[in-house]
Parts: sequence; structure tokens; C-alpha cells
Amino acid sequence: MTVSGGKRRYQKRYDRLPTVLLFVLPAFIPLLVFWIYPIGRSIFLSFTDWDFISPTYKIIGLKNYLSLFKNPRFFEALWHTLVFTAGTLIPTIVLGLILALLLVRSFKGSGVLKFILFSPWITPTVAISIVWTWIFKADGGIANTILTALGASPLKWISSSDTAMLSVIIVTIWKSLGYAMIFYLSALEKVPGELYEAGALDGASRWRQFFDITLPSISPTTFFLMIITMVNSLQAYDQIQILTQGGPSGSTRTLLYMYYQLGFQEFNMGQATAVAVIMILLTVALSVLQFKASEKWVHY
Amino acid sequence: MNTRYSDKNPLILRILGTAGKALILGVACVFTAFPFLWMVLSSLKTKADILNTDVFFPPDPQWQNITSILFDSPIPKYIFNSMWVSLAIVALQIVSGAMLAYALVFLKFRTNRILFAIVMATYMLPVAATYIPSYIILADWGLLDSFGGLIISSTVSIFGIFLLRQAFMQIPKGLVEAARMDGASHWRALWEIVCPMTKSSFITFGLMNFIGTYNNYMWPSLITKTSDYFLVSQGLRAFFVRDGAYGTEWALVMAASAVVVIPLLVLFAFTQRWFINGIGGETGMKG
Repeated sequence: MTVSGGKRRYQKRYDRLPTVLLFVLPAFIPLLVFWIYPIGRSIFLSFTDWDFISPTYKIIGLKNYLSLFKNPRFFEALWHTLVFTAGTLIPTIVLGLILALLLVRSFKGSGVLKFILFSPWITPTVAISIVWTWIFKADGGIANTILTALGASPLKWISSSDTAMLSVIIVTIWKSLGYAMIFYLSALEKVPGELYEAGALDGASRWRQFFDITLPSISPTTFFLMIITMVNSLQAYDQIQILTQGGPSGSTRTLLYMYYQLGFQEFNMGQATAVAVIMILLTVALSVLQFKASEKWVHY
Repeated sequence: MNTRYSDKNPLILRILGTAGKALILGVACVFTAFPFLWMVLSSLKTKADILNTDVFFPPDPQWQNITSILFDSPIPKYIFNSMWVSLAIVALQIVSGAMLAYALVFLKFRTNRILFAIVMATYMLPVAATYIPSYIILADWGLLDSFGGLIISSTVSIFGIFLLRQAFMQIPKGLVEAARMDGASHWRALWEIVCPMTKSSFITFGLMNFIGTYNNYMWPSLITKTSDYFLVSQGLRAFFVRDGAYGTEWALVMAASAVVVIPLLVLFAFTQRWFINGIGGETGMKG
């Protein structure tokens, strides 16, 4: 009995192997070739002096990293990345939540408003960044016409290193606002109504209800949006490439843009992949930080 | 009756509240819609009017700007490229993603958890970190600057695997087991039982990834150099660099953007609920 039972189990396991492989491999092979292997390869290349053209390269240890750490451009790019990430993440989440709160109870026309607010997210960033370039034109752009009409002084927007980052951040918030709003809408709809009834019976004010009931109930969504927006901001490329190409004078060069310039313009593959590895580490570090912090404020 | 919030506030406060709400929503919608409006208005202006800041509405709409983009520019070709490349990519992503998700949920095998952990880890990593080695792989295979290279490097969607896995987990295992007892293969169980029950996740997956691939810019612009293979974003940028940023044809550039953007807005108008429900449902992902 035991023998045949064991045999059957043995057979079962290996009978299924072809099926499992058949179902797993169509996704796993591309995943391996275009995701997992390249990440490993990038880490390896970051320890070499490869220049893309020559067939050979030397392993030079940590030299790429050390020369990055001596390069002020790198720290500038790191700083810009953090400014850009914080500058897009906080407004996107706060404004997305405010809009969702205003739209959660449907009224006549609320569907149209949701449509408008979400529409930037589905349009190509390149197309819309071109439109924003036109809006931001320092001389004769509509943004300055509006500012002047409101009595403010015109700005140089993307053509000055003081305001270029602000301009890129505005475009990014414009694009991602509706996405955050949609997530919050569905989270708000799922907050059980009884919680508010109980809160109202206890005589809690609307502000108290918001802070004691709504915010904790939607905290998993807030957490999810923080991670997603952060990952997206760390990888922002399209709008920077169209609006500023990292300029003026490097004022919108983020780590990702620096990686692009080092790798695909200067063909300094060693340093480019070193920046890529630092980007991975930064993503992991910020995610771990958020996961740790989330234990304190996210309620499942 | 709505019991969500207590409506005990005096009338005046409620009126102020409604006015404030209308103001915030109004400002947000104007801010969001304005670039689209400005794009369309600018695309219909003459060379002289577009540079004159006092002209808001085009006094004499230049429809030929739009027709010249539609009939005498490469933009429609780029749209066509984007369209069919995205359809091919999304079809492959759906098949490979559904099979992997099915294996993760319904086929118990020992490395199940490890495999899912690998997939999950790659979800958050910056995809750009893979670009240099992936570029070299395509170069070795002779697939740079080709539709084949664009498609083959994007046949798997990690987001899609997540979405489908999440949906598949809601299906009672007994249903699949019963079908297997009746002699159905796993392949048939996936497409005839599991897929119809999770149709909405498949539609969301398809639409989101179609839009994402259609609009994709960085990776396609790195691997294609010949305009025959440009997807729409890269094609639009080439057009912009030639005529906009360093030229004077702003009206034509805006017309090209409008030709690219408006079909997507129309598509979105008809498919809105799949985006909104699908995205909302995705939050239950953790756990």
C-alpha cells in the first residue's frame, strides 16, 4: 500500500511536469531573457569599463561607482530625482484624494468630470508634452498670457533652470492626478456606511469622521498609490525628454535621464549601468522605507 | 437616503460647501481639459494667428492643417504601426500571462511561491535598468530597428500576470477540478471556464496594456532608428523636432498631436468603465 501510494504520488508529480512547463515557460522565458538576465548583466557591466564599441572590456571593480561619487553631476541628478519624486507624489495623492472625496457621491455630470480628470492618463505623454512645450513658451505662450492677465509676472518656465523642474512637475501631476482619483474613488466606495452611522451617533464632526474613519479605511490605497507614484516618478523619461532634455544646464536631469545620456549618448556603459544599479538600490531602499513606515499607519 | 455624513450643518454652511466644491472641481477640470482645448484651437490657426497671443479662438479655422496631417504626413503611418504592434504585443501578453497566472493558481508545483516572488520583485524594479543588456540582446539577434524586435522584447506583462492571478484566485478551485474530471485539458479549462468567468479582468488587462504599448516611447525610441518602424510617440517627436521646437510650424505640430490624441480620447469614452472598474479592483492586490 505505502509503496504504491508513494509511487502514485511520485508519478503524479512528474506526470504534471510537462504541463507545468508548458504553462509557465511562455511567460517565464521572456521574463528571464528581457528582465532577469538584463538586471544581472547590468550589475556585472557596472564593474567594467565597457564602451559599447570595443569587443573587449576590463573588470575595474568599483571604479565606476567611485567616479560617480566624485562627480557633482551625479549628486545633482540624485537631488533632482528626490525633488521630482516628492514634488509629484505629494500633490498627486493629496489632490487625487480631494477630487475623489468631491466626486464619490454621484451627481448630475459627475461622470463627465471623472472622464475629463482621468483623460490625461490615457494620452501619450509625448503628444501632451509637446502641447505643454507650446503652452510654456516663454515668449508668447498661453501660460504667461494667463499669468499676466492675473496680474502676476511672466515666468520663463522650461527655458530657465529656476522653473524648469517646476514645469516638468506640473505636467507630471497633470497627467497622474486622475489615476490617483480613480483609485481613491473605488476605495471610498468600499468604506462601510455603518462606520459613518456609528460615528454620527457618537456625535463626531465631519472632520473627526474624516480623520478617524475615512483616512484609516483607505490607508491601503494611499500606501499602494505612494509606491506606484514613486516607482513611476523614479522612471519618468518622456516628459523630461520632450520638455527640457534634462536642461537647462542640467536642472531637470534625474538619475534616469543621466543613465540615458551616459548609456545611449555617451556610450559609457560601465557608468550608465552603475547609475542603473543605484536606481535599483534607491527603489528598493525607498520601498523598504515605505513598507516599514506603513506598519504604523496602514490598516488592513 | 444617504447616511454617510451628518447633514446637521446650517443651510448657509451647506451652500458655501457646495460653492467651494463646485469651485475646486471647476478649477481642476479647466486645468485638466485646457491643454486639450488649446491643442485643438492652436491646430486650427494660421502661422500668424498662432503667434499672436491676443487671438484665443481661431478667427478662420484652418481645417487644411488637419487634412494635411491626415493625408500628407507620416503621422497616419505611425498610428498604424503603433496600432498593430500594440495589438500583437497585447495578444501575446494575454496568452502568456493567462497561462502563467493559471499555473500559479491552479497547478500546484513546488517552485510556485518562488516563481511568484520573482515576478513580484521585477514588478517594482525600474525597467530602464534592463535596457542596455536588452538592447545588446536584440543587436545580437539582428532585431534592432524592426517590428520583430519591438514585439519580441515585450511579450510578457508583469502587471497583467498580477491582475489575472488576483482574478483567478476568486474562482472556486472545485470548478476547475470538476472540468478536469470531465476530461477537459488544462488548456480548455483555462479558456472555456476560467477566462469567461474573469472576462472583465481580461478586458482591463487588454485595454491598459494596449494604451501603454501604443503610447510607449523610451524603449521603442532606443531600438528603432528608421522612421518606417516608428511608433506614434517617436514619430510625433521626430515631427516636433523638425517643425516645432526648431521650426515655425506650431499649428501643424498641434494638428499632429490632435490627430494622435483624439482617437484615444474617443476610445476611452467608450471603454471608460473598464479602466475605472479595473483600476479600482486592482487595489485589493496585497495580501
